[in-house]
Amino acid sequence: MSLPRANYDPRRVCLNPFPEFTLGKHRRTVGVYIAGALFALAQWTFFDAAILSAHAKPEWGGDPPVHVKFLDWLPGLSSLLGFLIVNVIDKDRIKGDEGFGDSGAVWRARLFLFIGFAFMAGGLAGSVCVLILKYILGDYPQQFSYYGYANVSQNIAMMLAGVVLWIAQSSSGEYEYNLTL
Amino acid sequence: MAAGLKTVILLSFVLAVGFLLIILSCALWHNWLPLLVALTFVLAPLPNAVFSHCGSDDFSSQYEGGAGPIDLGRFITSLVVVTGFALPVVLAHSDVITKSACVMSIIGGGLVYGTILAYSAAFRQDESDFD
Repeated sequence: MSLPRANYDPRRVCLNPFPEFTLGKHRRTVGVYIAGALFALAQWTFFDAAILSAHAKPEWGGDPPVHVKFLDWLPGLSSLLGFLIVNVIDKDRIKGDEGFGDSGAVWRARLFLFIGFAFMAGGLAGSVCVLILKYILGDYPQQFSYYGYANVSQNIAMMLAGVVLWIAQSSSGEYEYNLTL
Repeated sequence: MAAGLKTVILLSFVLAVGFLLIILSCALWHNWLPLLVALTFVLAPLPNAVFSHCGSDDFSSQYEGGAGPIDLGRFITSLVVVTGFALPVVLAHSDVITKSACVMSIIGGGLVYGTILAYSAAFRQDESDFD
C-alpha cells in the first residue's frame, strides 16, 4: 500500500485519472479550433433542418405534414445555455486549488458545473424526446423525420464541443494537471 | 524583395480568382445569397486579430494557460470558417441555390481564405526576419 507520493491526490474521485493528451504544445490551440468547428457544425445541422422545413415540398403535392416549430428549437437552446454556463466557470476553482482558500467558492463552482452539464444533458434528452414523440411516433416519411435526427446530432455535437473545449483548456500549462472531478 | 513581390502578385491573382468564382456563382443564377460566403471568409481572420492583443503581453510565452480572450478569438474564428463552408451546403440542400453554385462558392471561399492565411503567414515570416 505504498503508493508513490507523486500519484497521491486526496482530491481525486476516480480511481484512474483521465488520460493525458499529448498533442504537443499546440494542444490548446488545436482543441479550441476543433471545439469551435464542432459548435458551428452543430448549429448548421439544425439550421439545415429548419431551412429545409421552410422550403419543403412533398412529392405528392400539398402542404408538408410537419414543420420545425419552436418546440424543436428548445433542446438546442437548453444545450446552448448549458454550454455557456460550463464555459464561464473558472477551471482552477473546480479543482479546489490552494490560494482560493474559500471552500464555499469551490462548492458553488461545482454546483454551477453541475447545473451546466444538467442543462446540456437535458437538451440532449429533450432532442431525443422530440425525435421519438414528434417524428417517429408521428410516422412521417424519411424526408421529415430527418428534422428529428438533425436535432439529436446538433445536441450531441454541442456536447462534444463542450467536452473538447474543457479538455483543451484544462490540460494546458507546464503544471501537471489531471481532470479531477 | 523580388520573391516577396512575386508572392504578393500570385496571392492577389488567387484572391481575384476566388472573388470571381463567388461572384459568378451568384450572377449565373441571379441569386445573390452566395455572396454571404465572401463576406464570411473576409471576416474570418478578424476575431483572431482583435483578440490576439488582449491575452498576454510580450513577456509571457504564447502557449501558457489562462489566455481566455485568445481562446475566444480562436473559437469564433473556427466558427466563422465552418459557417462559410456550411452555408452554401445548407442553401444547396434546401434548393435555394443550385449545386454548382454551391461548389463554386465553396471553392471561391476556400481560395479567398487560403489567400488571407498565406498572406498573413508570409507577412509574419518577413516580420520575424527583421527582428
